Amino acid sequence: MSDVVLKVNDLKAWFDDFNAVKGIDLEYKRNTINAIIGPSGCGKSTYIRCLNRIHEEVAGAKISGEVLLEGKNIYAPDADPVEVRKHIGMVFQKPNPFPAMSIFDNVVIGPRLWGERNKKNLEEIAYKSLQKAALWDEVKDKLHQEGTSLSGGQQQRLCLARTLATNPPIILMDEPTSALDPIAAAKVEDLMMELKDEYTVIVVTHNMQQAARVADYTSFFVLGELIEHGLSSDIFTNPKNQKTEDYITGRFG
Amino acid sequence: MVEMVSKDNIENNTSSPLKKRGISYKQQDKIAFMILRGFALAIVLLLGLMIYQLFQASAPAIKEFGFSFIYNDFWNPIEDEFGALPFIYGTLVTSLIAILIAAPVSIAIALFINEYLPKALGNLLGLFVELISAIPSIIFGLWGLYYLAPWVKDSLTPILKSTLGFLPLFSGPSFGIGILTASIILSIMIIPTITSVCREVFKVVPSLQKEAALALGATKFEAIKLAILKPSFSGVMGAVVLGLGRALGETMAVAMVIGNSAEISKSLFGAGATMASVMANEYAEADSEIHLSALCLIGLLLFVVTFFVNFFARSITWKAKMRGKKV
Ligand SMILES: Nc1ncnc2c1ncn2[C@@H]1O[C@H](COP(=O)(O)OP(=O)(O)OP(=O)(O)O)[C@@H](O)[C@H]1O
Ligand SMILES: [Mg+2]
Repeated sequence: MSDVVLKVNDLKAWFDDFNAVKGIDLEYKRNTINAIIGPSGCGKSTYIRCLNRIHEEVAGAKISGEVLLEGKNIYAPDADPVEVRKHIGMVFQKPNPFPAMSIFDNVVIGPRLWGERNKKNLEEIAYKSLQKAALWDEVKDKLHQEGTSLSGGQQQRLCLARTLATNPPIILMDEPTSALDPIAAAKVEDLMMELKDEYTVIVVTHNMQQAARVADYTSFFVLGELIEHGLSSDIFTNPKNQKTEDYITGRFG
Repeated sequence: MVEMVSKDNIENNTSSPLKKRGISYKQQDKIAFMILRGFALAIVLLLGLMIYQLFQASAPAIKEFGFSFIYNDFWNPIEDEFGALPFIYGTLVTSLIAILIAAPVSIAIALFINEYLPKALGNLLGLFVELISAIPSIIFGLWGLYYLAPWVKDSLTPILKSTLGFLPLFSGPSFGIGILTASIILSIMIIPTITSVCREVFKVVPSLQKEAALALGATKFEAIKLAILKPSFSGVMGAVVLGLGRALGETMAVAMVIGNSAEISKSLFGAGATMASVMANEYAEADSEIHLSALCLIGLLLFVVTFFVNFFARSITWKAKMRGKKV
């Protein structure tokens, strides 16, 4: 197994005629945390939505370039998006639990879809995933209430648990802590660090401290272009590009 | 400067922007409001008047037969004995079968248009489906009589008999026209209604959950089931009930293909009649007062039933839409 688990070659994405991602080249190493930072609207969400083939579900979306998952292009004509998404999980920017479905059912929906029927196994998966997502203590007494009855931050962690339950080797997270209080956010950061042993994480964040704390690598995007990429320690202490420096010091963005 | 403005001048100042010659703006608004309110009230009054007059016209039959009108199964204009059960039965059976056929077909069409076709093509097909509802009822009737009925007799009946012939529903001979043919015509006529309401309901389901399902490795169909069909269940029920409302009252096409006989046929191949079709068929020839009144009473019953069915359907779809908007 090579060290590089995901390699992106000249990735471009459009909404109809609007070019939101303008040719990104990046590599992600196994068992690392990778942050993406950049001003609002610069195409971070669109970019990571291309990495698990969700962008194409938007009407009018177009994509070009390559994304190599373990060396295989996920956009090859014979690639199956369902297979791709089983390998690359995603926590969306907006919490999206399934309505009319209990907390428990929300968490185990992935394993169920993939054919797990054993009740004991499902219960164990739900317990572990909710624990990891730092939500178990808050919901353990109401697993059968609707998922949508939770608060926004709880829903965000519910969606995180739902993704963890499917155990994908690569996890994409789009601002997973934006709706969380500092304590819950810290728990999710701890989780990311733990996840690193088994998973590769790509996380979009607006929180510089968070990126500096948890991410091994950081990429800085502006207007659909990659401005700078490197070790977080370098990016945050010694940025090479003036724009990066301006952004992380709060002078631009 | 102040002294120059005479008293006379002020009183005759008709060009003041605050005072218009003739009717003031405020009065204009008031008149417009009264006219609009008048029309709105008129339509409500008209509805009330219709119910009242229908009630008046059916009063003799109500007095004569009372509740037995609903459960008596004979309809004999020569003896002036009237029971509406055969028509109630015919209406319920044809509408029910129509729903059983139309609901799954409509849901499938709506999903196909909304989720599988590109937008432009989908809208085109949607328009096409809606045009079906613009076809006059009598044309469905003619088509049913000349093409559908022979097809039911020669092609569908043998298949049903060889597979489900052991059921009393599919026993006896088929003459083409009958309950089954009427039900099929009805189902075609209500497909546009159910389809377009289903499309509306599916459209308000947010796409976020569909993406969530896909991201978990669901197939497209699983994602649709999970994120679109499941949350819109009550809205779809509303659409189906709305279709039912239409089926209950459909008259002309049914009258042309159902065979018009006041009997309760166990077999779907047999002839029958519905509440609406018997009114259309007999109204012109009814010569006794009690016969006319009995027909009016059927009309009153049908009116009440369709009114409530529609009301019920709209309240479900409305609630579903509101919920869709909130999520
Ligand atoms: N569904 C859409 N249709 C058309 N344009 C879109 C759509 N979604 C996003 N865009 C545009 O694409 C660009 C990139 O959007 P994107 O959501 O990727 O930004 P982002 O970097 O994630 O921003 P934020 O930090 O606010 O989440 C923006 O200019 C946005 O207006
Ligand atoms: Mg975003």
